[in-house]
Amino acid sequence: MYKLQNDHRGNPCAVGLLNPDGSGMSIPIDPANTDYQAYLKWLADGNTPLPADELAE
Amino acid sequence: MPTTTATELAQLGGLVTTDTSTSTVTVNGTLAATAIALPNNSVSTASISNSSVTAAKLSNPQYTGFRNRIINGDMRIDQRNGGTSVTPTSGQYLVDRFFAVQSVASKYSAQQNAGAVTPPTGFSNYQGTTSLSTYSSASDQFYIAQRIEASNIGDLAFGTASAQSVALSFWVRSSLSGTHSGSLINAPTFNRSYPFTFTVNAANTWEFKTVIIPGDTSGTWATSGTGAGLQVTFNLGSGSSFVGTAGAWNGNTNYGATGAVSVVGTNGATFYITGVQLEAGSTATDFERRPYGTELALCQRYFQSYGGQSVNDMITMGATSGTSTFVGIVQLPVTMRTSPSVGYSAASALTIDDNGLAGTSSAITTGAYGFTSAYLVVTTGATLVTNRPARCYTNGSSARLTWSAEL
Repeated sequence: MYKLQNDHRGNPCAVGLLNPDGSGMSIPIDPANTDYQAYLKWLADGNTPLPADELAE
Repeated sequence: MPTTTATELAQLGGLVTTDTSTSTVTVNGTLAATAIALPNNSVSTASISNSSVTAAKLSNPQYTGFRNRIINGDMRIDQRNGGTSVTPTSGQYLVDRFFAVQSVASKYSAQQNAGAVTPPTGFSNYQGTTSLSTYSSASDQFYIAQRIEASNIGDLAFGTASAQSVALSFWVRSSLSGTHSGSLINAPTFNRSYPFTFTVNAANTWEFKTVIIPGDTSGTWATSGTGAGLQVTFNLGSGSSFVGTAGAWNGNTNYGATGAVSVVGTNGATFYITGVQLEAGSTATDFERRPYGTELALCQRYFQSYGGQSVNDMITMGATSGTSTFVGIVQLPVTMRTSPSVGYSAASALTIDDNGLAGTSSAITTGAYGFTSAYLVVTTGATLVTNRPARCYTNGSSARLTWSAEL
């Protein structure tokens, strides 16, 4: 499942992907990044990512 | 057979003419000899006129360096797996730059130097795949492949009337003799394919193969830019929906040729490959040997790995922006193809140390901030002091951080 991610100022900057084995990936919002292209395809298939965490402080 | 020298012929009144441009000798206007071979050391530098050595002849890409469009063709570099066996998910990378596709999970495993056989002379590594199944389905795909960046194939002029032929050469060893196959495909549109075949004459024996492929004069090809331009595929048993007639370009998505051997169709079957070279022209030349550091740098344009080698592998310096947030910029040793994704072995892979207090990561985030450096935000428990310089390192010998900008 994808999850939106924000930078240290709370602005959207990436999409997270957590694998069942605990490993994961943070994908920058860059149309040339093939991981981001896969995310866009996942969105186009009608899926919705989890919201980003609130800024801690 | 008696021979007559040119001098003797001349003494007999014969007119002897030698034409070095065609390597022929004529006597009294009649062709007397062809394919004349010059003896060793018979041509000195002084006897070669300057005008006979032209830039056009020297610029033939087959006589120049960096002629191999395949990166890591000798399978030396395995940043992700370090020689361990994997049962790859579809799209997972194996040795650097080569990825696996299996539309049904767990039908084959892959490993650098699988089976520990002796590689072909001159090579130390190979990419091995081993079938875990007796699977067969018309609609499934099984192959390994490498995608080549569009800007590295522009000179081939595919998709135009000037398209150049290419020579694909490689060493292969399979437990299954017979006709195997692969293909060239335009990427990323994947609607132009050239299925090819090659014969494994003897099982479990390294054999060198060459396939000459005419350039595609049709279709839409990406010939510039940082996206994918061409995919070289070695088929492991793709179904009939994904194979086609060998030896001709077609408008489909083919990963192999009709009727070829299926590796995943025989449980335990092996398919090993190395020395993969794709070059312009209609002749396969010797495998291009590039220094390890050069080859690694070529790989790092698409993937870089940190950690996994020492307890604390330093990633970068940065600063805390709160009691649970670290922000750093990682300077990448090689410019990447695009803004990379950051991968981690576990959310707890990193330690943030602000020179007094330390925190273990619970979330790792990046962003699109360029190709030569990468933005890194690490979230920890509320254990840090705000606005302090801090260092970020891998947390234990198994922790890894990777940057990926694959095609």
